[in-house]
Amino acid sequence: MKKFSQLALPYIIWAVLMLVLPMLLIALYSFTNQGNTIISFSFTLEHYGKFFTDKDFLLVLSRSLMIAVKTTLLCLMIGYPAAYVISRTGEKIQNFLILMITVPTWINMLVRTYAWIGLLSEGGLVQKICLWLGLGEVEFLYTEGAVLLGMVYNFVPFMILQIHSALCKMDGSLLEAAADLGANEVEAFKQVTLPLSLPGVINGITLVFLPAVSSFFIPKLLGGGQFFLIGNLIENQFITAGEWNFGSAISMIMAVIMMLLMMLVKKAESRNQAQEEEK
Amino acid sequence: MKKKQNLWGKLLIAFLIIFFYAPILYMIIFSFNESRSLTAFSGFSLKWYRHMLESKDMMEALYTTFSIAILATLISTVAGTISAIGLSKSKRILREAVEQMNNLPIMNPDIVTAIGLMLLFITFQVEKGYVTMLLAHVAFCIPYVILSVMPKVRSLDPNLADAAMDLGATPLQALWKVIVPQITPGIVSGALIAFTMSVDDFIISYFVTGQGVKNLSIMVYTMSKRVNPSINAVSTLVVVIITLSLLLINLIPLLLENYSEKGRKRRKLFLRTGALLGVAVIAVLAVRGKERLEEKPFQGQVLRIYCPGEYMGENVIPDFEELTGARVITEYFDSNEQMYIKVANGETYDILVPSDYMIERLIQEKLIQKLDREKITNSDLLVKEALYLPYDPENEYSVPYFWGSVGIVYDTGKVTEEELQEKGYNIFLDPKYKSDIYLYDSERDSFMIALKALGYSMNTKEEEQLKEAYQWLERCVSTMDAEIVTDEIIDNMAQARKALGIVYSGDGAYIMSENEEMGYFEPLEGTNLWCDAMVIPKNADNPDLAHEFMNYLCSYEAAYDNSDFVGYTSPNEEVMEELFSEGGTYEGINAYLPRAGYEMDESFHYDEETKKIISNLWSKIKIVASNAGK
Repeated sequence: MKKFSQLALPYIIWAVLMLVLPMLLIALYSFTNQGNTIISFSFTLEHYGKFFTDKDFLLVLSRSLMIAVKTTLLCLMIGYPAAYVISRTGEKIQNFLILMITVPTWINMLVRTYAWIGLLSEGGLVQKICLWLGLGEVEFLYTEGAVLLGMVYNFVPFMILQIHSALCKMDGSLLEAAADLGANEVEAFKQVTLPLSLPGVINGITLVFLPAVSSFFIPKLLGGGQFFLIGNLIENQFITAGEWNFGSAISMIMAVIMMLLMMLVKKAESRNQAQEEEK
Repeated sequence: MKKKQNLWGKLLIAFLIIFFYAPILYMIIFSFNESRSLTAFSGFSLKWYRHMLESKDMMEALYTTFSIAILATLISTVAGTISAIGLSKSKRILREAVEQMNNLPIMNPDIVTAIGLMLLFITFQVEKGYVTMLLAHVAFCIPYVILSVMPKVRSLDPNLADAAMDLGATPLQALWKVIVPQITPGIVSGALIAFTMSVDDFIISYFVTGQGVKNLSIMVYTMSKRVNPSINAVSTLVVVIITLSLLLINLIPLLLENYSEKGRKRRKLFLRTGALLGVAVIAVLAVRGKERLEEKPFQGQVLRIYCPGEYMGENVIPDFEELTGARVITEYFDSNEQMYIKVANGETYDILVPSDYMIERLIQEKLIQKLDREKITNSDLLVKEALYLPYDPENEYSVPYFWGSVGIVYDTGKVTEEELQEKGYNIFLDPKYKSDIYLYDSERDSFMIALKALGYSMNTKEEEQLKEAYQWLERCVSTMDAEIVTDEIIDNMAQARKALGIVYSGDGAYIMSENEEMGYFEPLEGTNLWCDAMVIPKNADNPDLAHEFMNYLCSYEAAYDNSDFVGYTSPNEEVMEELFSEGGTYEGINAYLPRAGYEMDESFHYDEETKKIISNLWSKIKIVASNAGK
């Protein structure tokens, strides 16, 4: 069936052009200075030096990573129990609930974030509820809390959906077997459900962590003009400062960090699988 | 134990559903609000929907979003499926190589993919616009389609196609009749992911678009700084479209199912996809159809304008289109610097509306052309304060658009004018107003106030003075908890959220017209007297139409509409006087009539070196502010 294999050729060319070449261009820009062309350029590490020797830039990076970690943890804490509960309902209700969780993801992310501005702003509903609960006048909009809320709101459906689909693939008779062998519910969960849902958890973490690190509109809309994350820093370099080479260097740094993190996650996953198989 | 768990589970799900839908519901409710407020509902009104339908920008954004999503879904589903089938028969190395390449957009943060694609289009000089946006969407959608089709293809019996062909099917028939039906679920879920990704995308579209092409995300991002309830109306429309299509997708197969029980499952999937596409096509046609009605016999030429956001009267463009039959495409920028980067990179526009110092730079770098004054007869109507300014002494290149000063907007309930007179800009370092001040996110005007506060010229080139100004600003953001804002300051000050803020006079006028408690003050240390003007880039496609537009904007009607709506001072003398005098919209509001002839006031000059220094220092200030805020 060699004929069919030729079908993949156009895509390979396309992928090299549209997926690989752009990354090479970022790398090229990050190692050169403005005014260079593809034909004549000189190699420099200046932009990387600029980033790593400035504590303010490093602070922005670490804060972005921290926010992404917090978002991921919150999504996991909310998403796992939710997916678990949903997976244990009847088929009809389950389909309905999954639909209910999917629908918001179909509505544009910017629109979803924008919707929070009114709720969180001064004199808005959230503040009124807090006053009514006796928590006093709490300011929400333009705080880190608001940014976190916006991120969790936007990304938690991905976490739920991923974990849910992993839980659904699980063979129900495994739990019965565990029960027959004398495991109580908690033990069965720990020994059977949790390990089997791990691939879903890992997919979910990827789907939440990646956009959370690089999002720059959520901090801008809900964090205010001075909430500066790494995404904002990159945007700034390209859109207003015109420092494309420096911007490319920051992008490269981010891409490398992400790649390392993802490799770590993958490694953890495969080790886990190996352990499972040994058992 | 089980019961208890159930209860908690139910509570959690209920909480989640509320969490997901409350903001959407809130937004829908407030799209019917009579006033601009996002917090107080003052009465039912459909006016934001009217606004939305009248706004070409919004309707085009809707059209772009859905047409790109549908096209990208179709293309990437077909291409992805074919490639997945091909790959499954390819050598392992090849398959793994493609997997690695596909991982690039999946495993990289969006912003990295976005920048890569932007650099790609710029390197190969592809003009950015609708096509590049579509290409980019296809590029990031195909990997997801392959990811979801591949496992299905690989789980097929490899002999299936051979068997079909042995039985006389052509390869194409084997593909279409045997393989595709087997992997339909994978294809459908791949298509759904592609559609969701495309509709949802902001970052990649934002970086690869051009020529004023914007989707919903870009529109919301550029319009959201000032409260604009029309956004709620558009969003509500999107929610309605999505809900309707979901209902239809789920209902149509249900209705048709009653006819035949056989082959239900497969047909259901096909019907669902069909229904989805049908709904989408109808939606797109509906939006397009409206546009088609607007076609005019006259000219049909296109004028591309690049101007600051929220900076034009709402009837100016429609009236101009009515008058000339031309079609106007407007694109908005946040800052002169952002505009400069695009223009310097060769994007074409017919009209730009930059500020004085930027015009000086554009003249120096020969990026704009000399005007044909004969074609702009209405310029006789302009006020002399806005003409023959140092940036373009003969007005050879530019026609004034708005002019004004920079000043302090203050809550008269918290700050007195005497205090402002006494302290000037240094009031921004007064601990009394800690956490009660706004700075404006503009590098040059922030350095202007710092330099003026220190008694220097705002056009200084002395590094020592700039450094002192940097320290002044650093002190302000790190000890005073100042918020650095852009146009959101307008609504926030109109609602008296802080005691003091730096604003442009026109925004000051608007704020004062909304809230009588607010005052506007031009400090005695001097300020920036600025002028924004229209210019025509060298590479403009349609300079004739551009001249026509300039002439039109100098006319009484256009200038009145513009200034009345935005609040900035009109260069048209008659309009300016009428709006400021008794019965005018800005009657007695001092911010509308900038101080003239005061010796400490200056206007900006462009100097490349200084600009770079200030630009770098200001980024640092913002980062310091951000790090201090935590």
